[in-house]
Amino acid sequence: MSLSVFLFEFKHFIRSKAKLFSYLFFMLLCVFSIYNGFEIMHKQIDSIIDIQQKQKKEVLQLVEWFDKQEKGPEDKPWVNIENPYWSIRYTPSYIIKEPSSLFPLGIGQSEQFAFYKKVTRWSSTYDTDMVEEISNYERLINGNIDFSFLIIFLLPILLIILTYNINGLEKDLKFHKLISVQNKRINRWIFNRLSFYVFLLLVSINSLILGVGLFNSGFSNISSILRLILISNLYIISFSLIFYYLNNKGKSSSSIAFKMISVWLLFCVIIPGSVHQYVSFKYPVNYMTDFLDVNRKEKYEVFKLEDFDLYNILIDIYPNIEYTKKSQDKQLDSPTVRRSISVIIDQMNIYAVNYIEKQNEEKNKLIRLSYFFNPISYVQNIWNSCTSTDYNAYRDFRIEIQESISERNKLLVLELWKDNKVDKEKYKMYLEVLNN
Amino acid sequence: MINIFYNEWRGFLRNKLFIFFITFFIISLAVVTFFGIIQNNKQIQSQKDAHSHIRAQWDEMEDSNPHSAAHFGTYAFKANTILNSLDDGINSVTGVVLRLEGHTQNDVAFSEASQSLIISKFGKFKVSLLFQFIIPLFLIFLSFNIYTSEVASKRIKLLIIQGNSLKKIVFAKTFTLLSLGFILLLFTILIQLFFNFSEIELDQIVRLNVFFFSYLIYYFIIILFTVFLSLIFKNSTSALSLTIITWFLWTIFLPKTIGNLTENISPLSTRFELQEKMKKDRSEGIDGHNPFDERRVKLEEEVLAKYKVDSLSQLPINFSGILMQADEEYGNQVWDKHYGDLYEKLEAQKKNYQLSGFINPFASLQSLSMASAGTDLIHHLYFLNEAEKYRRYFIKTLNDEYAFGGSKTGERGWKASNDFFRSIKDFTYKEATFSSISHKYFIDIFCLLFWLFSLIGLIIFTSKRVLIE
Repeated sequence: MSLSVFLFEFKHFIRSKAKLFSYLFFMLLCVFSIYNGFEIMHKQIDSIIDIQQKQKKEVLQLVEWFDKQEKGPEDKPWVNIENPYWSIRYTPSYIIKEPSSLFPLGIGQSEQFAFYKKVTRWSSTYDTDMVEEISNYERLINGNIDFSFLIIFLLPILLIILTYNINGLEKDLKFHKLISVQNKRINRWIFNRLSFYVFLLLVSINSLILGVGLFNSGFSNISSILRLILISNLYIISFSLIFYYLNNKGKSSSSIAFKMISVWLLFCVIIPGSVHQYVSFKYPVNYMTDFLDVNRKEKYEVFKLEDFDLYNILIDIYPNIEYTKKSQDKQLDSPTVRRSISVIIDQMNIYAVNYIEKQNEEKNKLIRLSYFFNPISYVQNIWNSCTSTDYNAYRDFRIEIQESISERNKLLVLELWKDNKVDKEKYKMYLEVLNN
Repeated sequence: MINIFYNEWRGFLRNKLFIFFITFFIISLAVVTFFGIIQNNKQIQSQKDAHSHIRAQWDEMEDSNPHSAAHFGTYAFKANTILNSLDDGINSVTGVVLRLEGHTQNDVAFSEASQSLIISKFGKFKVSLLFQFIIPLFLIFLSFNIYTSEVASKRIKLLIIQGNSLKKIVFAKTFTLLSLGFILLLFTILIQLFFNFSEIELDQIVRLNVFFFSYLIYYFIIILFTVFLSLIFKNSTSALSLTIITWFLWTIFLPKTIGNLTENISPLSTRFELQEKMKKDRSEGIDGHNPFDERRVKLEEEVLAKYKVDSLSQLPINFSGILMQADEEYGNQVWDKHYGDLYEKLEAQKKNYQLSGFINPFASLQSLSMASAGTDLIHHLYFLNEAEKYRRYFIKTLNDEYAFGGSKTGERGWKASNDFFRSIKDFTYKEATFSSISHKYFIDIFCLLFWLFSLIGLIIFTSKRVLIE
C-alpha cells in the first residue's frame, strides 16, 4: 500500500466539501440513530417498570388479604383466596422481554412484536394482545432511523458518494493517462485511494459499535459486540470490493456512479424485494384459522364434554392427578374438573401453535435458502440476532410465555386436585413458581 | 418543439443502453404486475376461505345461550382488494385478523411481518417499488445532462439559431422523458385492466387514474428538478451528484426522519397506558364518579319502573341481557373516547406527514400511491371502524335476544335457536370509495401540483436568464 497515495486521499477528502459534509452528516445520523434506539429502549423499559409495579401491587393485595385473614375483595364474596383456584387466578404473571443492551444498535423487528404478556391460565402465545406496541403503521413501513439500517442501507450510498469519482474524474478530465504514467500499476493506485475511505468507515463504525456496546453492557456482551463488528466490517469490505471493480472498469464518474447505484439497488432493493414477493406468493399471510378453531370451536366442544371424559383427558396430560386426594373420592368433584379445563385447552393450544411455528419455520427456511444470492437479508437477520431483535428472539420469547402458561396450569391443576388450602407461606411458593 | 421531441426519441432508440433498460423495465413491469396480481388473488382467496370457514362454524352452532355465543364471537379478516397488488402499503405490518366478541374490543393481530424473518426493508417487489425507487433514478440518469450535453457539444447554438428558444428546447426534452414514464405507467395500468377486467368498477377506475396521474406528475417533477439543476450548475457531474443526493433524501432519508418527527409531535400512548386508562374508565365511570355498581342499580330501578314491577323475578324479560347490553354500550363509549382519541392522533400524524410534501414530493406520491391501492392508514382505520360497527350490531343482537327473546331473569340455561344465529348478518366489508375519502388527500395533490408549477416557473425563469456562449 502506498502511504503517499493514502495520505493524498486524506487531503483530498478534507478539501472536498461535498465528501466531508456527506461523511459528517452520516456520522451525525449514526449518533442520532443510536440516540433514537436508546429512546425506544427507554420507552420499553418505562412500560416494563409500570407493569412490574402493577404486578407488585396485585401481589401485595393478596398478601394483605392473607395478613388480614380476608378471603378476597369485599364486593366479591364468592372469592376465597384460600382456594388455590382463586389465589392463582388473582396472581397474574407478566412475561417480559427486556431489550438487549445492544438494542440501540439495531431495533430490528422489535416494532412488530409485543415485548410483554400478561399470562393467565387461558393465555396462549398467539393471543390478540401479542401485538406490537401502538404506533403509526405508515411510519412503521418507512421504518425508524435505526443504526443497523444506516449501516446496511445508507453506508453503501455514502461509500458511493466518497468513491464514485476515483479513476472516473481523471477520465472525465482526460488525464487518466498521466496517472497511468506516474503509477505503474493503476489498480494499486485505485486500491490505495479506495482503502482510505474503507479504513475511515471501518474505524468510524467500529468505534461507534464498540462505544455503545461497552457503554451499555460493559464486557458482558462482548461476543455479540465483536460479531457486530465482524459483520459490519465484512459487509463494508464486500461492497468496497465491488466498487473497486467498478472504479477500475468505469469509463467516467457518472457511469461509475450509475453502476454503483445500480449495484446498490440490485442488492438492497430489487433482490430482497423479489424474494419477499416470492415468499409471500409461496406462503401467503397466515390467517391462523387452525389456531382460531382451537380457541373457539374446539374450546367450546371441550366445555360440552362430561366430567368423566374431561377427567380422563386430564389424567393423560398429568398422570399424577390420579394419585391426588380428590381423585380418591368416589364421585368426581365437578367444580374441580371444570376448573381444570384450561389445562386441556392449553395442550390444544400448544399443538396449534406448534403447527403455526412449523409453518413459519418453513417460510424462514425458504428465506435462508435465498441468502446465497440475497446477502442483504442475511446481514440484516444476523445483525438483528446480535441485538436480540430478530424473529428468533421473539420466538424464544413466545416459548418462554408458553412455559409460563403451562407452569401456571400445572400448578393450578395439581393444587386443586390435592385439595390444598392456601396460606401466606404456600402463596409465596406459588409466587416462586408463577414468576419463575 | 415536436421535431425536438421526435429527434430525442430517435436518439433514444439508437442508444443500445437505453434499449436495454427500457426492455428491462417493460419486462420487469409485466412480470411484477402479473405476479403481483397472482399473489394478491391468492391472498384474496385465502381470506375468503378463512371467512367462510369461520362463518360456517357460526351457522352450524347448536341451540345456545346468546351470551355464550357472544363469547364464542366471530372474526373479521382484513380483505385484500384487487388494486392492492399495485402497492402493498401498510398491509405487511398491520394485523389481518380481528376477534369480535362481547365485553371487549381486540386488536387486529397476526401481521405478515411478524410471521417470518425480515426480508426486505423496502417491501415486496411490487409495481410501486419499481415506480417509486427505480424508474425515477433511471429518469434522473437520462435527464441530468439533457441540457449540459447540448452545451458541451455546442448543438444548443444550432438549435437556437433554427428559431427555438431555450425554454422550448428544455421542455421538448423534458416531455420526451416524461413520455417514457407515461408509456411505462400506461403499460402497467393496461396489464391491471386486462387481468382484472371482470372485477373493475368505477371506483377502481378512479383509483387507477389517481395512481397514474400521481406518478406521472411525480416523474414530471423529478425530470424538471434534474433539468433545473443542470441549468443552474451547467456541469453534468454536479447536477447528477446533487440530484442523486436529493433522490436519496426524498425517498429514503426524509420519510424516516419526518415519520419520526410526526410521532414526536403528537405522541401515542403505550398499549399498557391505554389499557389501564380504559379499564379504569370502565370500572369507575368515564367521569370517575359513575362506578359500575351504581350504574347497575340505576338501570335496575329504571327497568323495574318501566315494567311496573317490584323485583327482577317479576320481569317478563331477562334483565341480564339488558344489563349486558348497557355495560356493552358503556364499554363502547369508553372505547370511542380512547380509541377515538388514538385514531385522531394517527390521522393528525398522517396529516403532518402529508404536509412534508412541501419539502418532499415523494411523501405526497407515496401517500397517493397507497391511497389509490387502498393500503394506507385511512383505509386501515376504515376497516377497523367497520369491524367495530359490526361487532356492536353483532353483540347487541345477541344481548337483545337474551333480554327479549323469551327468557326471564335468572334463566341462565336458556338457549336461542340455530335459526336465530343464522339470521345474524355476516360481516361484509366493502372498501371505502375513493371519492368518499378523497378530501383526505387534497394536501398530497396540492403538494404535487405546487412542486410541478414551481419547477415549471423556475425553469421558465432560469431559461430566460441563461446565457448561451
